[in-house]
Amino acid sequence: MSKLKLVGWASAHAVFFVQQSWLLLASSFCFGLLIAMTNTALSGRIEQNKAARLNDLTKALLPGAEVFQPVAADIQVSLPDGSKEKARVFEVLSRDQQRIGWSFNAHGVGFAGPIELVLAVDKDFQKIMGFDVLASSETPGFGDQIRSGFYRKQYADAPAEPLSLVKMGDPALADAQIVAITGATVSSQAVVNIVNTFLTQIKSQMQEKGLIGNVRQ
Amino acid sequence: MSASNGSTSGLYSKALVTGLWRENPTFRLMIGMCPPLAVTTAVKPALTMGLSVIFVLICSNLVVSLMRNLLKPHLRIIMFTVTIATFVTICDLFLKAYQPKMSEILGAYVPLIIVNCIIIFRAEACASKSGPVVSILDGIGMGVGFTVALCILAGVREILATGHFFDVRVMPNAFVPWLALQMPVGAFVTLGLILALINVLTRRKES
Repeated sequence: MSKLKLVGWASAHAVFFVQQSWLLLASSFCFGLLIAMTNTALSGRIEQNKAARLNDLTKALLPGAEVFQPVAADIQVSLPDGSKEKARVFEVLSRDQQRIGWSFNAHGVGFAGPIELVLAVDKDFQKIMGFDVLASSETPGFGDQIRSGFYRKQYADAPAEPLSLVKMGDPALADAQIVAITGATVSSQAVVNIVNTFLTQIKSQMQEKGLIGNVRQ
Repeated sequence: MSASNGSTSGLYSKALVTGLWRENPTFRLMIGMCPPLAVTTAVKPALTMGLSVIFVLICSNLVVSLMRNLLKPHLRIIMFTVTIATFVTICDLFLKAYQPKMSEILGAYVPLIIVNCIIIFRAEACASKSGPVVSILDGIGMGVGFTVALCILAGVREILATGHFFDVRVMPNAFVPWLALQMPVGAFVTLGLILALINVLTRRKES
């Protein structure tokens, strides 16, 4: 008897639930389907856009770059916050399959949010070819000058060694000293830190794994 | 919308025109103020944002209007939100696929259209009470009013902060850019001055 009562109680509530919420359930299903269809149709193009943007930036840093081959070796970078992640390193080849350099993604914390960079180095990992900004939210007119002008130019031809930030100096010299942007010391330092973190660790691990020579110039 | 509004065509034109000036969401009602402050550093992103909002407004108004007789009063807000979120997600995917640059500049502000007050306000105030045609016209009117407001703000800020309009140089070379207008403070100052101007104009008209 009590079992019957329970069943009656449960079914009455189930009916009430469906009566109240059938529209929400049905429309959620339809909307979910709609989003899934759109995503299926567009995800290929979205991935292409992302890859194309990375390639375009790298091509500007390494003239003659045609092919980007992901490096299969497991290269781990430990970040300042203590976590570890697998570095995304690419071997950059020219049209005739000659290696002209390496490129990798790097990221860290800037003044107003995360900064994501792409860095290119020459084929022996001796010299930085330059960097470009994939994403940043630095202050317009100040910190966002890391994207352009004299600050970015300093990285081209700088040695692939730990860099340091200075307030005064000659930005035209291709050395390990990076002159800060006036009024944006934090952003300038952030880029130097990101480059140092990723560059030194990736370089030493690639040397260990024999991907690049151990020679010093 | 009551029957006292007159003929059907009068009803349609009223639905279309209201959002442009008399109930302009940005300049008169001051609702949905996040995009006008956040994405008006240049005209192109502002226009992209405006068009996205028009798309979402029209679609969500239409869907809400079609299901208006099935809505349970205590479940209506969640139905509005689910509908709006769907179209915003679709819009976001389209921007990522066909306008990757704009999508990157607008960043989180496209997904944030979901919680934009204008769209849920129109679903509640218009679409859940009127037929599909009126709802679509209302969506167009409100959306265009919002877009024009965004573009006015963005135009002023882009010209004074960079000397460019729509990425084309318009100011003489001697012009020194007002960088402050590109920062959040510039959005507040510009919006405040435009609102003051509108108040002066409307008060003069009334008196």
